[in-house]
Amino acid sequence: MPISPDSYLFNLLIMTLFANLAISLYGVLARPSLVKKVIALTIFSDTANTFAIVVGYRLWPKPSEPPIPPVITRIPPTREYIEEFAARAVDPLPQALVLTAIVIGLAVTLFLVFLTLQIYRLYRTTDVRKIAKLRG
Amino acid sequence: MAAWERVVIAVSMVVFVALLALAFTVGALGYRAPPPTLRDLAEVYLRTTFNSDNPLFSAMAPEAVTAIVWDYRGLDTLFETAVFFLAIIASVALMRGVSLPRKEVGPAAGMSPIVKTVTKITIGMILAVAASIAFHGHLTPGGGFQGGATAAVAPLIALVVFSVYFLEHAGVTKNRMLGLRSAGLLGVGLTAFLVLAASIVSGVQAYVLQNQPKPTAPIGMPSIVDGAIFGGTLLLFNIFEALAVAAGFTLVFLLLAIPEEEALKVTTGGEHAH
Repeated sequence: MPISPDSYLFNLLIMTLFANLAISLYGVLARPSLVKKVIALTIFSDTANTFAIVVGYRLWPKPSEPPIPPVITRIPPTREYIEEFAARAVDPLPQALVLTAIVIGLAVTLFLVFLTLQIYRLYRTTDVRKIAKLRG
Repeated sequence: MAAWERVVIAVSMVVFVALLALAFTVGALGYRAPPPTLRDLAEVYLRTTFNSDNPLFSAMAPEAVTAIVWDYRGLDTLFETAVFFLAIIASVALMRGVSLPRKEVGPAAGMSPIVKTVTKITIGMILAVAASIAFHGHLTPGGGFQGGATAAVAPLIALVVFSVYFLEHAGVTKNRMLGLRSAGLLGVGLTAFLVLAASIVSGVQAYVLQNQPKPTAPIGMPSIVDGAIFGGTLLLFNIFEALAVAAGFTLVFLLLAIPEEEALKVTTGGEHAH
């Protein structure tokens, strides 16, 4: 595959996202503190969301014509406008998935924060190595 | 953690990235960046989101993202709302028995008068922006989820700048937020059955979560009322979802703001201890 400048930058961006995924997964697995695990998990979900948005992007149709958001701005749209819209707009599906994922991710993060807080109140530590050794 | 465990985790992460990168370069993810054409599914969404020539297959909403969220994939969103609802309820359940102590706070409580005045102005602006995001969701980028999350910032700021007692006094209590959130969820549920209820009255076939008339179900919500685009059920869904999301987040923020001593009384001993 010949490498063109635009796809080179895109590939660089996607590789960066992969590296970010790995670093945040390392945080979830290796950090002993529950708080740091939660922080790493939010970085992981944000990276996955960014990746989904990048997948929905498209190449510029012409060098002078950038892609447009998937919103029809001419009401009522003519047949020609819908053709042009379909030729220029980015993929709306990843955006629809990500918008709900962000809000639900926030709710789940809040739940994990409550869980961590409750563990800290009961055991006075958020270190999973100490929590694993507790009995009773 | 032993040194070898760290090494194992680090090596497996490196292998993970290397394999993903390899899969990406050979095209095994089914994706080359950036694609010159869209996937066929995206083309279908873009061509039918507002197409007067093809009304039986169109969502009749100019915003393709909101149309997907509440029309094409409405059932998905309903279950995602259920996940959201369960996460909030689980947080409330973890804090069961913990309540805010009664305490009168004077006007001196909270931050300085400058911060309070600025906050009073910005809270109004935040709520206005949130309403515009949520209620124009069928026309411009935005929708119930985003508008609700934006609206929840206003009580959060009030919580920090004034105090949790001030909010309690102003009527933003845990039980009221629970009620508002349940009202929003109930509204989402009822809107899902709106067209079905209308079809039972008029005696034709219809589906749950239906918005516009479909080939075998010739009944639907009006998409344009008096020249203004209404988006059928999308506007109702957005309003109720914004209410549920805003009240749900406010509820969790209120619980997080309860003083630590009160929570400790319940968690570690006393009359209502776990």
